[in-house]
Amino acid sequence: MAFEPKILAFSCNWCSYAAADLAGASRMQYPANLRIVRVMCSGMVHPNLVMEAFSKGADGVMVLGCHPGECHYLDGNIKAQARLAVVEEMLDAYGLEPERFRLAWCSSAEAERFVEVVTEMTEAVRGLGPNPFRPTRPEDAQEVA
Amino acid sequence: MALRVAEEGLSSCSGCEVAILNLGERLLALAPQLDFVHMPLLMDHKYFGQLGDGDLKRLEIPQAELGLVSGGVRNQEHLEVLQAMRANCGTLVALGTCATHGGIPALINGLANAELMERYYRGCETNDPAPDPTETVPPFLERVYALDEKVKVDIYLPGCPPHPDHIAEAVLAFLEGREPALPHKSVCDACPTVRQGKGQLKSVRRFLQNAQYDPAKPIADMRCLLEQGLLCMGPVTRAGCSGADGEAPRCLKARVPCRGCYGPVRQNGNQMLDMLNALASNGIDIKTLPDRAGGLLRFSGAHGRLRPRPAAK
Repeated sequence: MAFEPKILAFSCNWCSYAAADLAGASRMQYPANLRIVRVMCSGMVHPNLVMEAFSKGADGVMVLGCHPGECHYLDGNIKAQARLAVVEEMLDAYGLEPERFRLAWCSSAEAERFVEVVTEMTEAVRGLGPNPFRPTRPEDAQEVA
Repeated sequence: MALRVAEEGLSSCSGCEVAILNLGERLLALAPQLDFVHMPLLMDHKYFGQLGDGDLKRLEIPQAELGLVSGGVRNQEHLEVLQAMRANCGTLVALGTCATHGGIPALINGLANAELMERYYRGCETNDPAPDPTETVPPFLERVYALDEKVKVDIYLPGCPPHPDHIAEAVLAFLEGREPALPHKSVCDACPTVRQGKGQLKSVRRFLQNAQYDPAKPIADMRCLLEQGLLCMGPVTRAGCSGADGEAPRCLKARVPCRGCYGPVRQNGNQMLDMLNALASNGIDIKTLPDRAGGLLRFSGAHGRLRPRPAAK
């Protein structure tokens, strides 16, 4: 069977989740590879959440927020932007391609942009292939010995 | 009947055993209740009979109610000893950061075994190149493991070394049949330095730059080292190094930043990720930090946290 990536998206309640809602209500087509988690603000997405998603086998992770200057909480998306460097660093340390993570902005009216970003991301991750990263867990204990 | 205790050191420096001895007079008070049946680093007890006349297929580790194991798992011997300890001890304690998170030896997890051998036996200009050793050395596992990656661990006692106060607490709690009261907050929670706000820091100062303080004044009058721009691992490191009633964390007492030796605040935390996040969220350019993986995972490189950098594609 052809590889279908699993992509996790953290979407902020005020802009990008509303954009996803609008895309659905407008019957726009976009890849079904996306799993959306609604969060109150992109600024609350700790890099731990992103890395945990990768460690549990997500092939790509997106954080979607409001356009800079339009954050419902004034500067949440600026914080998300600052944390981008951390995620890039961790991906590099674990040998994952930086394209597996994407931070993007789309307002609640930009359903087309949401569809475009998600489609681009899905195609990019499809090209990269499955996530090779899986941590050692206690249940793996026997196989190494 | 006295509580039987078995102790083993794997890939470690025996500092944790010294910390046990550092219990001081409390050890004398505890001693009548404890019966150390096996502790190779402090007393003579052989694995295969005292004259080597035992069963060479089976490690002789006596039955014990409490097992203490320090050090990570680096080679096949460590693994077999650990499994024998697990089989013969009722409750297993991971003693020290090597046992709970890999510790300093796990820094090698940034290199693959082949690369390590190449560098050690053939990469050194002052020694004659030699082949990899094949005899008398147990075969390496492919990296350094924390104990709980190989066997079930009942009590985690991190620290490099763990403070004797907490070792005493763990043993006492076990004797009394209750949960040990161990620290679970961060070093910052135990640190008395003055916090005034973040300021306008954009980068972290180099480690060879000293903190600014008045030596005549107590630590409680010194400004937070992180706010001074020194890389202090306090926010992402478990408290405990100052003991039950210490004045300040040990490194802070020496007016240098915390190095993170107690491992992450939560057992499954990631010091590197949390520290980078803390710095980035406060506007510091994390690219200004040298050796981010080796520096921030100095004590917690097991559990696959520190891994060889993949070859460029």
